Amino acid sequence: MIKHHPKFELMLSFVKGDLPASLSAGITIHAGMCPVCQEQIFQLTEQMAEVSFEEDHLDKYIVDDDKKLNVSSIDFNQMIEAITENNEVKLEEAIIEKVIAFKNKTYKLPAILNNMQLGKAAQFGNLARARIQLDENEIHTSLLHIEPGAGVPEHKHKGFELTLLLAGSFHDDEGVYVKGDFMMLDGSHTHQPISKDGCLCYTVANDAPYFTQGINKLLNPIASFIY
Amino acid sequence: MGILQKSHLLSKYIKVNPCNMADKTDHVQLSQWLNAVAKTRDKQAFTGLFMFFAPKIQHIARSKFPNETQANEVVQETMSNVWRKAHLFDENKGASTTWVYTVMRNVTFDLLRKIKGNKEDNLSDDIWPIVENMQTEAEVFDDHLENKQLLSVINKLPDNQQQVVKGFYLMEMSQVQLAQQLNLPLGTIKSRLRLALAKLKVQLGEHND
Repeated sequence: MIKHHPKFELMLSFVKGDLPASLSAGITIHAGMCPVCQEQIFQLTEQMAEVSFEEDHLDKYIVDDDKKLNVSSIDFNQMIEAITENNEVKLEEAIIEKVIAFKNKTYKLPAILNNMQLGKAAQFGNLARARIQLDENEIHTSLLHIEPGAGVPEHKHKGFELTLLLAGSFHDDEGVYVKGDFMMLDGSHTHQPISKDGCLCYTVANDAPYFTQGINKLLNPIASFIY
Repeated sequence: MGILQKSHLLSKYIKVNPCNMADKTDHVQLSQWLNAVAKTRDKQAFTGLFMFFAPKIQHIARSKFPNETQANEVVQETMSNVWRKAHLFDENKGASTTWVYTVMRNVTFDLLRKIKGNKEDNLSDDIWPIVENMQTEAEVFDDHLENKQLLSVINKLPDNQQQVVKGFYLMEMSQVQLAQQLNLPLGTIKSRLRLALAKLKVQLGEHND
């Protein structure tokens, strides 16, 4: 059962379209598996629509005289003509299923990843990573595969790290995480996820992790690998 | 919990007066226009939609895009999509304002991504798939793992906060509707809802985030 959900503030930014594509996609994937969050997104969207379009909320827009003048910067009639001239109707595109294979295991990917470019998977011991090319500067998005019995040594983050389980499960000091669980960690957390039966995660991070335990500090290559 | 039970639950707290239910916004008219655009490519209906939404979209876009040309692009692109995708609007799934809001939000998202990252991948329709609006509320509340716990926590809130939370989340009334029902200023409804949510958050524990 899914126990970890995006925080309210994150959901709200998602609904408003203020999050980067990487984090937005994470919430989309989670909501696809979590009816409770799906419902919350729907309600927040209604609320935002209301704030944006309902008469009672609009007063705040109509106080500024400068802005009032700017409204006329569009020739509305001309725009209506231009739009209605084109009589094409936009049809839905068929959804193509994408899969990814790590070693002998093949996973069906969530539909949101269909139009994203996937890099080739790179292997590092029991970990494998395929980069998702979203071009969001310091924010890196990946698919991370952990083989049964393997894990990521104890580490911390300077920035944030989102881990979303797409398949399988893992555990750390705090408990067990299953498919659909949405874990957003910030710099104050340390964790050491281990996957007994293997798992596939969608990860987003804005800085490389660093390892906190003695000998593991030698594992710098993994740090930049999983980031 | 079914919708009837929910209404019943709520009716204990709020006296429903149907005469007061209507918003200032004419949702019926907006839906009719959208359906007319979808079914008969009705230009007159589109003009009605345009006159209602375009100025509002322009104001909102100006707050996100200081560049006027880009803000106007949002208006043009959003209204084009309303014209071309009106057949995707389903009044059983939500208000027309909600639908147009999602169209505008998606256009804005794709344009910002294009400006910032020079990416023209237009991911918005994948990020916010239409299926998101297909949930029926009854199903969700039945599914809700902690519905019982949640209700018991809600019942511990002060009465005036309970009214607002139950009206908003169980009855799915808008904040404006609630203000009308309870004959209170909108600001009061908002602050009560905010207070109540903050309390619920503490009550339900940090792992419920």
